[in-house]
Amino acid sequence: MSSYVRRLPVYLLLDCSGSMSGEPIESVRQGIKMLVNELKGDPQALETACLSVITFASVAQQTSPLTELMLFKEPKLEASGATALGGALKVLRECIDKEVRKTTENQKGDWRPLVFILTDGLHTDDDEFDRQTADIKTLKVANIIAVGAGPYVEQATLKRITDNVLLMNTASAGDLSKFFAWVSGSIKMSSKSLDAKPGGAIELPPPPQGFTIVP
Amino acid sequence: MAKKNQHIEKAILMDDREIEYVWTDNPPQGGMKHTYFTPDRKFAVQFFNKKEDAESPQMKARLENIVGLYNPTLSEEEGGALGNTRETATYFSNLYCWPAALIKSPQFGVVCPVYPPNFFFGKHAVKNGVNLDLAGKDKKSRWFTSRTSKWLTDDECGNFQTMLRLSISLARAVRRLHTAGLSHSDLSSNNVLIDPRTGTCVVIDIDSLVVPGLFPPEVAGTKGYIAPEVLETMELSFDDPGRKLPCAATDLFALPVLLYEYLLRRHPLDGPKIYSTASTEEDEFLQYGPKATFIENPQDTSNRPDDLQVTIHDLGPHLEKLFLQAFVDGMHDPEKRPTAAQWEKALVKTWDLLQPCRNPNCRGKWFILHDLRRPVCPHCGQRIDARDVMHLRLKKPMRGRRGQWQQVGEINLYDKMPLFHWHFVADVYPDEKMQDRSMQAYISHQGEAWYLVNNALTGMLSPKGNLVPVGQAVWLRDGEMFPSCNEQNALLLEAVKG
Repeated sequence: MSSYVRRLPVYLLLDCSGSMSGEPIESVRQGIKMLVNELKGDPQALETACLSVITFASVAQQTSPLTELMLFKEPKLEASGATALGGALKVLRECIDKEVRKTTENQKGDWRPLVFILTDGLHTDDDEFDRQTADIKTLKVANIIAVGAGPYVEQATLKRITDNVLLMNTASAGDLSKFFAWVSGSIKMSSKSLDAKPGGAIELPPPPQGFTIVP
Repeated sequence: MAKKNQHIEKAILMDDREIEYVWTDNPPQGGMKHTYFTPDRKFAVQFFNKKEDAESPQMKARLENIVGLYNPTLSEEEGGALGNTRETATYFSNLYCWPAALIKSPQFGVVCPVYPPNFFFGKHAVKNGVNLDLAGKDKKSRWFTSRTSKWLTDDECGNFQTMLRLSISLARAVRRLHTAGLSHSDLSSNNVLIDPRTGTCVVIDIDSLVVPGLFPPEVAGTKGYIAPEVLETMELSFDDPGRKLPCAATDLFALPVLLYEYLLRRHPLDGPKIYSTASTEEDEFLQYGPKATFIENPQDTSNRPDDLQVTIHDLGPHLEKLFLQAFVDGMHDPEKRPTAAQWEKALVKTWDLLQPCRNPNCRGKWFILHDLRRPVCPHCGQRIDARDVMHLRLKKPMRGRRGQWQQVGEINLYDKMPLFHWHFVADVYPDEKMQDRSMQAYISHQGEAWYLVNNALTGMLSPKGNLVPVGQAVWLRDGEMFPSCNEQNALLLEAVKG
């Protein structure tokens, strides 16, 4: 029976550059723990959601492969170095290609992945970023939500990745905890609702207080 | 982690009473509302996420009707539904988490009772060694009917009998709404909490009910429970005449989906069929919408899993017929779906066909014995000896034809089986109107012999015509008939072996 259940792949792209060191990276660690616990308390999310973490600093890498929640192991996160957001998008596309099941004649495909990008600064790998963002919106390989934290984030840059951009004032413990609570709410909502219009916009819960949606 | 920020706030109800609640900066959020609790945690105080909803006159009118005129959990004299007695109000307050009052300040909101503690997981719900903490989470029915049930203890998952019991309650709860002209509009595994250990259920999220004559709510519905015609026309605008909106007929799709899940622990549309390879969304849209195919459709087996162990046939003739009517004839033809009252009746009749499985390790523990040519428990394959089976046929006197009887029911007997009023008197049903739920008689099975022991009936006669007083028993022998009691409309019982 289980083989007829579609998975909802969720990718977290987390900024682990030097500016995230200290309280922010600790809050991200706590946040991931909370996110997994929260999702495991929801039967639909537990049944369908799979989670992967891709971190980016001077280089980008997949730190946790796409795994069902019951088997998910939290990644070890360290913050140092630059902000290879372009590289992270490249890794994301490779991972989606490799890990997300497509519908075929004899296999039920996974849902379109849900991707949350969290960054507190400007990317440092311009060429790669330009390459990756050239067609990322038109390809629609995933539903991407980019969240910028703090004063060094450039809205226009994030808008090149996706139309869904959120800003939070700081990368403080309080804001990051709200961010992860909202991610959890978004995943739960996606696992319950059904896209009537193939490829249409996804519905997400209202953002937490203090967060702004960039129009 | 951020520290929990909380303090006591006051809200004012429509009738100017005050209610205190614990304000926190990160309250649990649903699709439409966020929830706080009263300090004693007996009530939930809910406010709308969106200002438009809080200020909508339609929303307000609808909720006023739900809390008052259409409230089956309040008696008529307390301002509840017309004709509702205190007893039926009490009965239904156990089946729904019905809004109790409306809030006018600080903003429009709803007060709901918190559901009873048995609908929250305790500390020992999860199997040993499983890294999952469910203590305090509500028992959404999906936990017990999907892959997730493998993490739960056997005790927590109940058995076939307890699932059948709560299925009857759910059908009754929906029947009561429909009788009043209401429809739930978002019945799903999230909005029905179940406790399989005790065989009880409670319907929640009553505030999106469709109330007759009022503007319907714009509910999104839940994946897997949205009627195919609603999903198919979802892209049309809300006031397009072609758009199908949630109504009683769509509840009558969601209800059997839930019943099917409770009784067979799988979803009736989740099979192997691939509807489209263009995209997952397209495949899913066709699977639950225009091309939805019942996995047990006898004419179209394209969606049938090859590992079906227990099927609708194993649920007995009453339920098999209705599931076919709902998911074959009625899948794309809402008019043909059975009513909630039909479901309730079929489930109650099926209850009387229960038989305990003799295999102590059987997970179902109970099954429906309806085919004596194949007296096998479908859950575990355990065979029972057909010679060791006894049932009672219940017969009602035919009006105007003295001495002629019409069969109105049949019960499978087992040792220590309790029997009630509705087994002995015609036109009495075990529903909300039946106040006397005391055991009238019971079955005793000793060696080869079966006995009906009188516990409270007056005028029970043996097949030879002797009075069987309370405390004494009738020996049940194949083919013998006897009157159960001397009440008006008393049923005649016929014992049938094998």
